[in-house]
Amino acid sequence: MKCEWVRENITLQVYGELADDARHELEQHVARCADCAAELKATEEFHELLSKAPEFTPSPNLVAASRMRLQEALETAEQGGFFRRLAFDPANWLRQVRFSPALASAILILGFAGGVGTAYKVLDHPPSGTAAVATPAPTEASITGIRSITQEPGTNQIEIKYDTVSTLQTQGSLNDQRIQELLLFAARNNYNSGVRMDSVDLLTQEPNVSAVRDALIYALRYDTNPGVRLKSLDGLGSFVKSDVHVRDAVLEALVNDSNPGVRTEALRLIEPAKADGSVRGVLMTLAAKDQSQYIKSQARTMLAQLPEID
Amino acid sequence: MPADVCAITLAVGTRAHSKTERERVEKVSGNQDPTRGRMAGQERRIDDTILIREAQRGNRGAFEELVRHYDQAVLRLALHLTGTEHDAQDVYQDAFLKAYKNIGSFRFECSFYTWIYRIVTNLCLDHLRKRNVRKEDAPVAKDGDGGEYDLLDQVADGRAGANPERDLMRRQLGARISGALEKLTPRERMVFELKHYHGLKLRTVGEILHTTEETAKNTLFRATQKLRGQLADMR
Repeated sequence: MKCEWVRENITLQVYGELADDARHELEQHVARCADCAAELKATEEFHELLSKAPEFTPSPNLVAASRMRLQEALETAEQGGFFRRLAFDPANWLRQVRFSPALASAILILGFAGGVGTAYKVLDHPPSGTAAVATPAPTEASITGIRSITQEPGTNQIEIKYDTVSTLQTQGSLNDQRIQELLLFAARNNYNSGVRMDSVDLLTQEPNVSAVRDALIYALRYDTNPGVRLKSLDGLGSFVKSDVHVRDAVLEALVNDSNPGVRTEALRLIEPAKADGSVRGVLMTLAAKDQSQYIKSQARTMLAQLPEID
Repeated sequence: MPADVCAITLAVGTRAHSKTERERVEKVSGNQDPTRGRMAGQERRIDDTILIREAQRGNRGAFEELVRHYDQAVLRLALHLTGTEHDAQDVYQDAFLKAYKNIGSFRFECSFYTWIYRIVTNLCLDHLRKRNVRKEDAPVAKDGDGGEYDLLDQVADGRAGANPERDLMRRQLGARISGALEKLTPRERMVFELKHYHGLKLRTVGEILHTTEETAKNTLFRATQKLRGQLADMR
């Protein structure tokens, strides 16, 4: 019975799926039972055999072709939107209401308050004939949460504080603080690399502001898009000599960046500060063992131009 | 709590984007922080949540960004299971179009990862069930002109090195394994693929296939036993 249990669980052991206590039990048994030890060895060998076979990995061409084909199809594809489901799928609508009691109560209260409020206004000004224009009720999809619901004592007035998500627009010059704040936010947080690129591009015009410089350093260090990193390098270039943080960030990009273009640009920008000790150290390392022949030779040339240190 | 609610941790690192991003951050800072991987995972999850919400509002760009987070893993799975680039592309296309059309009904009850895998595995299972059992040993694909070629020839593999003999043996082994996999039932094959090649936890496999972890365990055991029987002479 024990051996049978062990044999059934050896596969799970090999795949790391056995619970700790069961694993312990299995190991104890295998140490004593030669047959089960042989079975474990055979299973491990089989697992190893499977991993020797070549793996199918989609080629970059296949990935690119699939993405393009999908993009074309998405152009014409219609999304089953929220409102469509609201109109044609009452069961699903009820299900949503069930899972969002706060939202459901808020909609109910808003509807009730709206109805009472309209009736009150109509009764209050019957001859004027001008209907009160109510604030359009926010759509359910735009409400991110209800903060509070309070009723004024003795009245039927209800106050609801809620958060919404909506697309807003603002305009202003680059010196405008609000614009700067939004640009800084976009440079760090936007998932769209095109927007990050635009914001970093604009921020490079104001590199004297320390928050802007920090954002450019952040983009250089952590942005996944090489274009954005290159753009932030351009903005930082003139501070390599005067600002040690900028110099460190550019040196990091020079040594670690995965993109050869970014590294080459970093090497070009670091030249004015090549006499600096840290820069000299990095150049010596690059000249000795960098994978890129170009970087290696450029670093050697720059070092050759420096006076010898005794 | 509804019956289909699932809470799944991302156990695999097959998404190229997150991997390179993490590598980059580690490389820049030059030290190894054990919490960083977890934090990067959480950031990606938050990132996905924002993208999903945007996609639900009809933002196609957000959906395309989401696709890029998952499509290489999806394509790899489809390529493994269908055996041809053409069929893999069809599964990829159908899966993401289905996801796009139905993203409005995604209610964050499980991870997007599980959701998209569920769609892909269903499509692949349909494909496997419909397909006639292949007679060939080697997986054969058709190129754009209709000519056949060996898919194993397209596999980029750094391990082969400069040893053509070993390379040939590995290709023969690959062909034998593909043949043995073809003989599994669609469900056994799916569990084996998700576990062995994608490294998913059996709990996740069970959730993707709408079954229990215990059933997934039994199916994996059966699949492994069958494969061992098929490939007994290879050891």
